Amino acid sequence: MKSVNIGIDLGTTNSLIARYENNEVRIFKNPVGQKETLASVVAYRKDRILIGDKAREHLTKDPVNVFGGFKRKMGTDEKYYVVNIDENVTPVELSTLILKELKTFVQDTEALEACVITVPASFDSMQSNATLKAGKDAGFREVFLLQEPIAASLAFFNAAVAKEKTEGNWLVYDLGGGTFDVALVRSSAEDLKIIDHEGNNFLGGMDFDFAIIDQLLIPAIIKETGIDNFEDEFRVKHGKYEKLYYQVMYYAEEAKKELSQHEETVVEFSADLDGEKYDFYIPLTRADLDKVFLPIVNETIHLLNKILERNKLTAADIQQIILVGGSTFLPQVREQLRGQTQISINFSIDPTTSIATGAAFYAANKFYEPLAPALAKAEDNIADELLATVDFNPIDLKIDVSYNRSSRDTEEVLMIAADGEFEDKFYRIIRADGGFDTGFIPIKSRKTEFLTLLPGVSNSFNLQVFDQEHNELKSFQQELIIVQGIYNIDGQPLPHDISIEVDDLENKTTKLEPIFERNSLLPQKRTLYREISKTIKKGSSDSITINILEGDKNSRASSNLTIGCIEISGKQLDADLVKGSDIEIQIHLTDSRELNTAVYLVMTRQEFKNVFAVSEKQVHVGRLKEQFILLEHELVDTLRQFQYNADKVWEIKASLLLEELQTVKTKLFKLKDQDKSDEKYVIAEKISRISQDADKLGGNERIALLLENYFHHKETVAEVIAMVDFEKEELQKQYQRIGQSEASFIGSKNVSVVENKLKQLDDLHWKALSNTTSFLIAKFIEYKGYDAADFKDYAAAKSIMKIADGALEKEKYAEFRRHVFSLSGLLKSVHHHHHIDFKGTGIG
Amino acid sequence: MDNRLQLINQLFEIQGKIAEIGHSSSFERNFNRLFNIFEEEGFIIQDPINESYADSRADCEASIVGASSSKMKITKTLKPAIYQKQNGQIQLVQKAVVLVEKI
Repeated sequence: MKSVNIGIDLGTTNSLIARYENNEVRIFKNPVGQKETLASVVAYRKDRILIGDKAREHLTKDPVNVFGGFKRKMGTDEKYYVVNIDENVTPVELSTLILKELKTFVQDTEALEACVITVPASFDSMQSNATLKAGKDAGFREVFLLQEPIAASLAFFNAAVAKEKTEGNWLVYDLGGGTFDVALVRSSAEDLKIIDHEGNNFLGGMDFDFAIIDQLLIPAIIKETGIDNFEDEFRVKHGKYEKLYYQVMYYAEEAKKELSQHEETVVEFSADLDGEKYDFYIPLTRADLDKVFLPIVNETIHLLNKILERNKLTAADIQQIILVGGSTFLPQVREQLRGQTQISINFSIDPTTSIATGAAFYAANKFYEPLAPALAKAEDNIADELLATVDFNPIDLKIDVSYNRSSRDTEEVLMIAADGEFEDKFYRIIRADGGFDTGFIPIKSRKTEFLTLLPGVSNSFNLQVFDQEHNELKSFQQELIIVQGIYNIDGQPLPHDISIEVDDLENKTTKLEPIFERNSLLPQKRTLYREISKTIKKGSSDSITINILEGDKNSRASSNLTIGCIEISGKQLDADLVKGSDIEIQIHLTDSRELNTAVYLVMTRQEFKNVFAVSEKQVHVGRLKEQFILLEHELVDTLRQFQYNADKVWEIKASLLLEELQTVKTKLFKLKDQDKSDEKYVIAEKISRISQDADKLGGNERIALLLENYFHHKETVAEVIAMVDFEKEELQKQYQRIGQSEASFIGSKNVSVVENKLKQLDDLHWKALSNTTSFLIAKFIEYKGYDAADFKDYAAAKSIMKIADGALEKEKYAEFRRHVFSLSGLLKSVHHHHHIDFKGTGIG
Repeated sequence: MDNRLQLINQLFEIQGKIAEIGHSSSFERNFNRLFNIFEEEGFIIQDPINESYADSRADCEASIVGASSSKMKITKTLKPAIYQKQNGQIQLVQKAVVLVEKI
């Protein structure tokens, strides 16, 4: 025996499917659009069958082919004549289609053999049996029914913390999209029973929207426009104000949501009415809604009171009113219910999903005998697979598709050719992201379908084939992939990362920030938003440098090849460019690897456009000089390390490399910025090679040592982060980000890459410490011990110390932290990583 | 609803209002930048205005103005379609709310 576990809320307006798993209930989402609810609507369009939200779009437009609300007709002999297919369909058949569609929400391989389906308390035996039949026809071998108020109560009782209080009388108030039901439920230690119920099949959420439109928005529109017969014309089918009608419907719903959260809102829109343009500005308050919603809510309370009177109960006999259905979110419903009935209301469970949740809880305690796994699979996959196992092909059907694997259009044609038994079979194509779904289309020998593509990405479509009853023939399933857009599938991949050099002011050096990653397909376009890291005076010779490089994004700039360099000096500026102002850098690398840049300085509102052919080397003398200095310092540091470790062999190699670097020093520093000779290219080449060789110094042992250091440091940082008092989540995220790239940087065996990671860990370490109260206290005590000369402004520091003391005393640690930060900002800088006059790129 | 989606919807609405009063060009860069921030966060924002409309467009919640036809066009976008990239997968997280009319 196996637990049923699947619960289905087969609603009049919307349906849901849930499963009890691992002690909780999971509501499944529609793979098309990710919504939990499925509109209970079926549309027989001329060329296809739509189920759900797309079908609902045609509900009022095409009532002879589109059906909703058929739940109300379950168990009757009513049939709907469908003009487009010239056939009758029954409410059971329509419900079966909804159930089958819900099954597609559960995207795992396990066959769905049994389920619990909820029915209204008012359903008689005929109606219940009709629901059972729909369940069986949808492929469930075992179907259990559960009354909706019981399902809602189960969801509530299972969620309730104080379970001992559950005995007594309860009212389940269910105000859905289009129907209202209220039931009296009695709970005892043993079970839950429905004692009485009332309902109105034509009262629901839509009535609230119409009340806003009719009583608030239409009068406001008439007042503004003075159009006499507006109200009559507004409701005319295909009338002249129909577009406005749908707009107003949308705004009414938005206003309803807005006023559930806030006291006031404004409905604001423009429209052309009778050739004149109007701008509407309609303020609405919650009190306005209270007034227009009151008659609707009163109608529900009237039905509720009827139950109480009939059962001779008073408010005191009812434990609570359990709220179910989307419209119970409205504050007007809650307030009136509470005020008029004097019964406490409970909205602790999600009113939209509670019935499906309760059904799944019930399903957890219902059991069925599953089919043997092979048989179950075969039954689920219908005869084709079953018979295939006995080496017999049951369906003589061949489906061929042809389409372009890449496209520059937003739509691509798919040709579908079918051969064999394709009569009465359907296909359906869904895009994996949920933005495209053909619905069920009858298969023909030749058919074309237009597939809509999402731009700039690889679009994956799933083609499925179904039999007459909409059961999937899984062996025909296939995936179609079309790459859209900005590149051809065979567009050339980038051999190296493309990065921009930006300043790392704290360490007085520069670092690379990747723009396009290696193996991205050309062309590529991106806009970077950065800040200017130093002030450039108008007319000065100071400048900012936009240096775009090709190479390993993790290494230093000097190891990369510059493919584009733009220098913007103070002489070109229309106004001073202040530190911290924004710079926008648009970079476009074409198919033919031509680099186009457009630099926009937000402060001066100036744009600088450049085109670089990547075949021409770009060397900027100023930048090269600085790169030289940074590399020289790094080599000196490395050399010292080898000397310290008494590593003779590597010491010699490092010193040879340093000497080699220094051979170009004189020549380089003699070069003028505007030098036109080849000399700068020769020097740049040499620096780049030495920079790459510098990474190899120390060999594997140095890498091993650095990695050992890295892992040790990583552990420490994790411990520190575990102890922080502020911003823990953000710090943990940053920590994880460092770890994510671990495999690639370890594999790189590149010294500067690992050093770079170590530095990131180090930064994170300090960040974590500065979010730890105990560390901040220690730092504070240390600062208090400093001399006046250590501070830029000692008087200010003294006064901050005083208020920090106060914050600490009152245990206001967040405030204390701010003061310690301010204090550290007042300290005179005591150390520099490099004693050089660092100019950098000017881009932070 | 995710606050970020609400923020995108508000930006989209403001952009529409500015376009209505004919000041789009003055704010174009600012909007590009704002939308770029969301794109960096993995969102793909699409305004389907003027695109052709068919039943297969599961990325839209459409209201059909006038009689429905096999050739329809999106004539007004009240909310844009929003996709989100997560773990290499793209998923529709908000359907566009649109009005469609016969061409």
